[in-house]
Amino acid sequence: MPSNRWIKNALPGALGILLFLLIWELLGRTGVLGLTWPPLTSVIATLIDPSKTALFLRATSASLTSAGTGYLAGGALGLVAALAGHLIPTLQEGLSRFAAVVNSVPPIALASVFLVLVTTESTPTAVAAIKVFFIIFIAVQSGLRSATPAQHDLFTSLGTGRFKRLWLLEVPTMLPVAMSGLKIAVPVALIGAFVGEWFGASRGLGVLILNAMQNFQISMLWSAVLLATLVSLAVYFILTMVESIVRLRLT
Amino acid sequence: MATQYQNDKFSLKPWFIQFISRYWAILLFLVVWQAWVVINAFNPIVAVGPFAVLSDLINHPEIYLSNMFITFVVALGGLASGMILGSLLAIASWFSRFVSAMLTPLAVMFASVPVVALIPIFARLFGFNITTSLFVVVVITFFPSFVFTSSGLRSLPPGSEDLFRVLGAGRLTVLWRLALPAALPNMAIALRLSASHAVLAAMVAEFLMGTTGLGFLFAQNLERFATERAFGAGLVATIASVAMFLVANAIESHIHRRWT
Amino acid sequence: MNNHQINQTQLSPGPLAGRGTSFIDFDQISKSFEIDGQKVVALENVTFNLSEGEFAAIIGPSGCGKSTALRIIAALEEPTSGTVTIAGQPPTQQSTEHALGVAFQDHALLPWLNVAENIELPFRISGRPVTAERIDELISLVGLTEFKSARPKQLSGGMRQRVSIARALALSPQLLLLDEPFGSLDAVTRRRMNIELQRIWSEFRPSTLLVTHAVEEALFLADRIFVLTGRPGRLLREVDVPFERPRTDDTMRSEFFHRMVDEMTAALDSTENAPQYAVESLD
Repeated sequence: MPSNRWIKNALPGALGILLFLLIWELLGRTGVLGLTWPPLTSVIATLIDPSKTALFLRATSASLTSAGTGYLAGGALGLVAALAGHLIPTLQEGLSRFAAVVNSVPPIALASVFLVLVTTESTPTAVAAIKVFFIIFIAVQSGLRSATPAQHDLFTSLGTGRFKRLWLLEVPTMLPVAMSGLKIAVPVALIGAFVGEWFGASRGLGVLILNAMQNFQISMLWSAVLLATLVSLAVYFILTMVESIVRLRLT
Repeated sequence: MATQYQNDKFSLKPWFIQFISRYWAILLFLVVWQAWVVINAFNPIVAVGPFAVLSDLINHPEIYLSNMFITFVVALGGLASGMILGSLLAIASWFSRFVSAMLTPLAVMFASVPVVALIPIFARLFGFNITTSLFVVVVITFFPSFVFTSSGLRSLPPGSEDLFRVLGAGRLTVLWRLALPAALPNMAIALRLSASHAVLAAMVAEFLMGTTGLGFLFAQNLERFATERAFGAGLVATIASVAMFLVANAIESHIHRRWT
Repeated sequence: MNNHQINQTQLSPGPLAGRGTSFIDFDQISKSFEIDGQKVVALENVTFNLSEGEFAAIIGPSGCGKSTALRIIAALEEPTSGTVTIAGQPPTQQSTEHALGVAFQDHALLPWLNVAENIELPFRISGRPVTAERIDELISLVGLTEFKSARPKQLSGGMRQRVSIARALALSPQLLLLDEPFGSLDAVTRRRMNIELQRIWSEFRPSTLLVTHAVEEALFLADRIFVLTGRPGRLLREVDVPFERPRTDDTMRSEFFHRMVDEMTAALDSTENAPQYAVESLD
């Protein structure tokens, strides 16, 4: 039965996660790693503490907004750049190398640059955008090139123009690869937003984390990091589902 | 028309045309950057152009080199350790399907978590020092290495498992002669993905914790408003990251060609 | 049934000989490739022509360049020397005018489209109007009516090839090219597909060129057969196929048919046809 198989596959994984949570709790309870490793229960208590809810919500929405905006902007830019490079082959190499170099610039350097170019509040968005740009650029570029020679020959024999070929062949072939890129880009966008926030933003999970670290607020530190991680995992999980639907439909 | 979609043959264009076609975007960027700085007449504490950065680099190489060395050691050491540990755990869990099924979702989750956000926790746990930076790079490399090696160990050529069983091969033989060679291309992919992250993560760790290294150089000079030096640190880190990526990419291409 | 004697069949006129003007003119075509720094000659001074409405087959050992010849006619490759004209025009004209139908060796069906949408593709590309009836017609022509909404991954190899053929015929092409369409099928399915293909072809009678390495297939389907040697590919001989249409199971079972198969197989096996280079197939 299909449901049996699903359970058989999911059970060990769930067990593994459970074990991890258990170890976390034990390490905290026994104090083996000192004050700086609190038990899981106290971290969760801090997280759901009603007096802190407004703070966490504000921070989460600020980070999600900048990460999200950066994600969309970077993704759109990556898509356009990849299409341009694909349709105009002479631009291709230069664009690829530029994108690779931009991706190698340390996010903290990027953030400091954007402080000058845009406002302090927009820096997280900008850093996230740059990081996402590269991933989407590579994914779309590789996807556009992944149609088989036989498929290309088919379209040639049917007398297809450049744009029809792009729309009817290269884009559908590109979509599954692009989905993988979109999925991978999620935690990257969040990292970019956090690093950007460390340069003076007033709100955000990155701000919460940095302040908690500097002020030795261990519970707050762990809660904020846990929240950031959960948010990242949730969005990643949603996109994984979307990715498998796309793959099912298109391949 | 068919040839348009095949790989380009080796180009016979003169070298400067090749150079321009490869680096036009980067060169354009540098020109725009310098022009931007000049036109806006920025105070040097706000922004500097590429020339100023380069000249600081050339005039004070020792500062850059000494810090770069530290960041490199952290990045390379962390990369190597992370890859080795990740692969070892993958091999160990290969012996038991159950353990593997238990650990893999956990590892996939950790691999998709923003590790940079964990740096503050590690800093408080292990102290603000270089070992922590090293640990950060190990963590960043460990999980992708585990995930990729695990999947590689299981992606055997069709029929090969049966072949080995028919030949009466023991578990260790299967591991050594079949699973590990099959896993190598995937391990190389994990290496390529982690290589450029390693330098950047080391830098963020140094930045946050104030230890030595390029990240510290960056933070220190940002504070002092010595923008050329801060950007210089960023530039050196970029070059280091690109270099690591190119080497890892070359290794991966070589393994892919030889092994598949 | 036929009472022809078996002789060197080179010059005996077949039922369609002399009919129609020359449609494809393949004149002194040579094609060489560079593989790993070595020059490999796929075709050497090959000349043949095809009349309108004729069904011709190219046979030869593996790697002798027969697919290359087909690809040159399809304007997917350019010859190194020699000229090709189709109805007096360069080969590219056929695809530009959407008058070319090709069934590829690996079917090249688009995995994100179902059967009906795959067959509809030539219409979408050429901008020609299409009705649902026309698509249904084509689908029933290849006997896949119940599968019209299925996607390629749900179909067997033979079914995919049938879709590929229906798609090749969608625009009622002037020229139909078939590149070992049944190469990956088992013998039984293959025989059935040959009979199907003959039936389908008889409805429209496009000028057709089939590349195959199966002698029975060529003899059953074609009016003329061009036999190529091993690499470098040279035209060994032309054979006119004497069987009358419509050809049936009985045709394939006749003793005459068997003897022609044997004779042609022997010709292919002769030392003249042994490949002269030890490089992998170019097909």
